[in-house]
Amino acid sequence: MRMRTIEISVGAFLLAGILALVFLAVRVSGVSLSGSDGTYTLYARFDEVAGLRVRSKVSMAGVTIGRIAAIDVDSAYGEAIVTMEIEGKVDNLTTDAGAQVQTEGILGGRYISLSQGADEEVLGDGDTVVNTQGALVLENLIGEFVTRMGDSK
Amino acid sequence: MSDNLIEIEGLRFSRGDRVIFAGLDMVVPRGSVTALMGPSGTGKTTLLRIIGGQVKPDEGSVRFDGREVTSMSRKELFEMRRELGMLFQSSALFTDISVYENVAFPVRVHTDLPQDMVRDLVLMKLNAVGLRGARDLSPAQLSGGMARRVALARAIALDPKFIMYDEPFTGQDPISMGVLVALIRGLNRTLDMTSLVVSHDIHETVSIADLIYIIADGLVIGRGSPEQLKSDSSTVVRQFMSGAPDGPVPFHYPADDFLEDVLGVD
Amino acid sequence: MLRYLRLIGQETLEWLATLGRAGTVWFWAMFGLPVRGDFALLMKQIYQIGVLSLVIIVLSAFSIGAVLALQGYTQLARIGAEGSVGLGVALVLLRELGPVVTGLLFAGRAGSAITAEIGLMKATDQLSGMEMMGVDPLRRIVAPRLWGGMISMPVLTLIFNMVAIWAAALVGVQWLGIDPGGFWSGMQDGVELWDDVGKGTIKSVAFAVIISWIAVFQGYDCLPTAEGIGNATTRTVVYSSVAVLALDFLLTLVMYGEFK
Repeated sequence: MRMRTIEISVGAFLLAGILALVFLAVRVSGVSLSGSDGTYTLYARFDEVAGLRVRSKVSMAGVTIGRIAAIDVDSAYGEAIVTMEIEGKVDNLTTDAGAQVQTEGILGGRYISLSQGADEEVLGDGDTVVNTQGALVLENLIGEFVTRMGDSK
Repeated sequence: MSDNLIEIEGLRFSRGDRVIFAGLDMVVPRGSVTALMGPSGTGKTTLLRIIGGQVKPDEGSVRFDGREVTSMSRKELFEMRRELGMLFQSSALFTDISVYENVAFPVRVHTDLPQDMVRDLVLMKLNAVGLRGARDLSPAQLSGGMARRVALARAIALDPKFIMYDEPFTGQDPISMGVLVALIRGLNRTLDMTSLVVSHDIHETVSIADLIYIIADGLVIGRGSPEQLKSDSSTVVRQFMSGAPDGPVPFHYPADDFLEDVLGVD
Repeated sequence: MLRYLRLIGQETLEWLATLGRAGTVWFWAMFGLPVRGDFALLMKQIYQIGVLSLVIIVLSAFSIGAVLALQGYTQLARIGAEGSVGLGVALVLLRELGPVVTGLLFAGRAGSAITAEIGLMKATDQLSGMEMMGVDPLRRIVAPRLWGGMISMPVLTLIFNMVAIWAAALVGVQWLGIDPGGFWSGMQDGVELWDDVGKGTIKSVAFAVIISWIAVFQGYDCLPTAEGIGNATTRTVVYSSVAVLALDFLLTLVMYGEFK
């Protein structure tokens, strides 16, 4: 009878561990249980993506519609190629849609904001967003500002 | 097949700078109760551990039933140990399980017997030591003498060929001592075992032993039946057999001269 | 001068010998011959080591999570970034505090108990007795505790992390009024399954190996006296704690080593 209690509590203990893992995976690191199916891939080229990370969100009008799957560099053009996974239900992004690297709050993390265009043609799996604007680097802005201040004197 | 179950030749062993055995020779004849006596600190317990393969000697040969113990692999050692039992001075009962489970332990680990046969066997062994009624007690509830008898039941659970008793009489009241003496003698006869008893309780040992070895300073200094030893010519043997406090075996642990030690400044 | 050199040499040799013995114990316990009833023994040890440590783990996790949320909130609210409290708490817990604090508590609660238990078995000749019965104590006594520790620790760490993050949410969202959407989605944006949860769990496995090893070895190798067992138990807690902290630094360096 004693052995039985031990077995049951060990079972419950291990189950609690598995539940904790599921909690950490789903609730904390945001892995969706449906997995990656139901998404399609878009690319975008930026001149500057400083601060952007893999798995950062891709949003439209503040609503998350996808994640960044990879960030590579094209050294020939000196540009960054960002691979985005967009939810399948957002299937009407036009070819002239815009992509912009933005900051959450003044010091928050970077993410990509997509804005819908007006074209008739729609982006499909593997297409590239052409109309892009890279990250604003705060230090560069300040640098430029200071230089101009100096010039105007 | 040799007449001797245990044969020890030229055994040398030292711990640090202290020589414990300096070329010891000894045999334990099959079916006998052999006793090993000697002043405390002469490595009697160490000798039992060497026979059981727990301690490796520096030199010499130890044969158990014709097999060389000193050169056995770990696996062979564990197999050999199934054929021997040892009764520890501290009884060494497992404190977290009951008396019944203690005796059942070697049976469960080494055999595939079904539960009811294990039960019969355990009760038989407990009955042999007179403690069938104590099966549900925990080791903490036993008196020293009872614990030793349970340990004895456990040691004989698998009917070993050979059983070693480490100081079985130490710290026992006269009645438990008598019970143990009777048990050791009786088990040896009924189970056809060979026994090696390490002890310095002269009267009890003399009453059960067929052959007695007396060791001192790492060597056998006396060997023979109890009667032969009582009339031995060696002074050391006689000092030991009669229990005189001082003699060839000195009262003092080796030390500098007392006067110098007490008066000396350094 | 020569005397000191000789002393250092002797100490080194002594230390090497101890390490050698510890290695042998570990090897035979991990890969020795299986004995009957191994599974039941392991079960009992997971109960002793894991289940019985749950109370202290859950209580500590709760207070650490709550405190992290409070402190994070007071600091981050000053720059208007209280939305990052969730992410900060989660990262600190998953990567560092979860495995490390669980490891330290585990060393104190389970490690010391293992050492004392094995030490006492040694002092009462139970280990020798078992060996003389043809049963390998490394297999029968040491191995289940080693494996039990290595299984229980990661599970305890996962539970610790869950409870702590939940406590942080309780304090942050329910009490301090951080926006729950920002709290959880900020966490989900910044936390990655492999990099944070996965590597944190790897740390806990590494800590489990080292603590269990230290605990069983100190018990197995202690002087079989009351004082010897006491010293060995102290050594288990001290060595394990130091080892956990040092190993944590090394593992962080190796796994998140983008610091050049």
